[in-house]
Amino acid sequence: MSKGTHPAPGTDATEAAEASEPSRPVDSDSNDSDSITGQELVLSYSSSEEPVIDDESITARSGAVTALVGPNGSGKSTLLKGMADQLTPDHGSVILQGRDVHSYDTKELAQKLGLLSQESVAPDSITVEDLVYHGRYPHRGFFESVSAEDERAVDRALTLAGCEHLRDREVGQLSGGQKQLAWIAMVIAQDTDILLLDEPTTFLDLHHQLEVMEIIDTLRNKSDITIIVVLHDIQQAARIADKMIALKSGEVRARGTPEEIVTKKLLAEVFDVEAKVQVTDRGPRIEPLSPLNSMDN
Amino acid sequence: MASHERTTDKRRFGLPRVDWIDRSLIGLIGASFALTVAAGLVQISFGAYGMSVIDAWRLVFDLQLLLDPMTWQAFILGGELPQLSQEAYIVWTIRVPRVLVALFVGMNLAVSGGIFQAVTRNELASPYILGVSSGAGLAIMLTVVFFTGLAPLIPVFASVGGIVSFLLVYTIAWKGGTSPVRLVLAGVIVGTVLGSVQQGLFFMLEDIDTALSAMAWMTGSLTGTDWEQVRMILPWTVVSVGLALVTSRQLNVLLLGEKTASSLGMPVERIRFGLSVVAVVAAAASVAAAGLIGFVGLIVPHMVRNIVGSDYKRLTLGCLFVGPALILVADTGARLLMSPNQVPVGIITGLIGGPYFLYLMRKKHNMGEI
Repeated sequence: MSKGTHPAPGTDATEAAEASEPSRPVDSDSNDSDSITGQELVLSYSSSEEPVIDDESITARSGAVTALVGPNGSGKSTLLKGMADQLTPDHGSVILQGRDVHSYDTKELAQKLGLLSQESVAPDSITVEDLVYHGRYPHRGFFESVSAEDERAVDRALTLAGCEHLRDREVGQLSGGQKQLAWIAMVIAQDTDILLLDEPTTFLDLHHQLEVMEIIDTLRNKSDITIIVVLHDIQQAARIADKMIALKSGEVRARGTPEEIVTKKLLAEVFDVEAKVQVTDRGPRIEPLSPLNSMDN
Repeated sequence: MASHERTTDKRRFGLPRVDWIDRSLIGLIGASFALTVAAGLVQISFGAYGMSVIDAWRLVFDLQLLLDPMTWQAFILGGELPQLSQEAYIVWTIRVPRVLVALFVGMNLAVSGGIFQAVTRNELASPYILGVSSGAGLAIMLTVVFFTGLAPLIPVFASVGGIVSFLLVYTIAWKGGTSPVRLVLAGVIVGTVLGSVQQGLFFMLEDIDTALSAMAWMTGSLTGTDWEQVRMILPWTVVSVGLALVTSRQLNVLLLGEKTASSLGMPVERIRFGLSVVAVVAAAASVAAAGLIGFVGLIVPHMVRNIVGSDYKRLTLGCLFVGPALILVADTGARLLMSPNQVPVGIITGLIGGPYFLYLMRKKHNMGEI
């Protein structure tokens, strides 16, 4: 892959757009082997009456990066939790490799689907290497010790996440960005077909944000892993994603390639901002201008 | 390239990985072991019955006694003891079993506390946090007040009471699943109610002797323990310590938080309950042998964590040595400080534990989180 060093997913997105179908990708993708589909999902928390996500369907195409974007409280993370079977849907189902995720044994599912939650916590004294080894949990029996395959997966994950040099450091001594790389290495070591990332770049400095985006890009290029990533920053999402899904108030407002999604109209509708959108060879470029009062819409 | 060497070192497949045993752990184990031996020496050599140190140890290593299957049958299975001299009798049926019970109680409480701290993800959790102490305490008081004739069964009632109260706490905390906070709160609720009932029962006690014996159970005492207590606690110690050692990886994953543990494919509720049961059994066995000895299960895992870090492989192993050392040293004080009078060992552990926590509070900024 020519763009190992500089992520320029804009071109990728265009290719993907050509290769994939235009509008409602839900049905046409579901025969894909490593795709994951949420069908007519209704998701809610026990603490509130109203469902956060009400009857939505999404599909992540095999081997591609799908980004979920939307303002705070739009239900992106909830949708991701539902897809990962961490939140049982009130209605609907999530189909992974032709089977309902609910029918998988917890370990079996964790061998196929990895989830990195927001703000994960680890004891300060654990080393990065030990943390990454925990990613092998679903592949190990209750009493089983480390296998050669576990070691290979951990080495590969540390290399892919660019934290080989942090291997023996304690997590408590790392910066926020380095910690996030260690967590990403852990979820890579899980060696799954599907990877779900919940706001992996939030709270990181610019350097580490770019580093995380680069890891996602490398994962897509070097393996055929299917990725769904929740991103706060729509600009980042546009750069990295093959397909974007925009949510507002628990509803999918738009889906498609970054070029189709990132428009002045959508930014006003979904994000309540007035912005200028410029199409460049690195995908759409957004220049936010002013907040819109949502009553105006 | 030290780190690189370490990595390649691990490539020797077939050999069990022991590189997690580091210098701090070996130091801790060595120091605890030395302390245990020293306190054990004192415990066996000194006491109300005067005999010389040399005599006492000659009796401990009396080959004729040690190699006689009859003695061990009597100790382990509870048969008839062969004829012993008065000195041998005192050493072998009073002082030695007391040391052994102290060791096992120390292991159980420390390991149990370590597990509960991981399950509740709270460094200040103790083996008694999920209701074991209040349930056991109430069972003891009920026996003392209403069923005086059943006093020999106090150990059984105490552990059953502890386990029932733990199940009650778990039921209260359950609402489509549990969480560390819900468990701790349920423990506090059950503890408060049962504690009140228990204190109320004190007023129904008729004579001071019963009150004192009840108090000894409540504070935890090793006075009068013999081979019967060793027989009772040993199997549970083997089971719970063994399980604690093999589940150390589950405990480590649980420390990453429920969300991460669950997305790694751990059936969190099932594992959490299973581990709690192991910890409760360990605690209940030690309550049955020695009553409610406080602070040990709280400070030992804490101390060990400060020295070897929070990896449960290291932590559990460390607890297995530090727990016995602490109890044995405290019991030495309990037995000899006010000789010939003895105080409950729980009073001494409290006197050691309090200041240690004060020291931690002054030294550390964010106590409480693992």
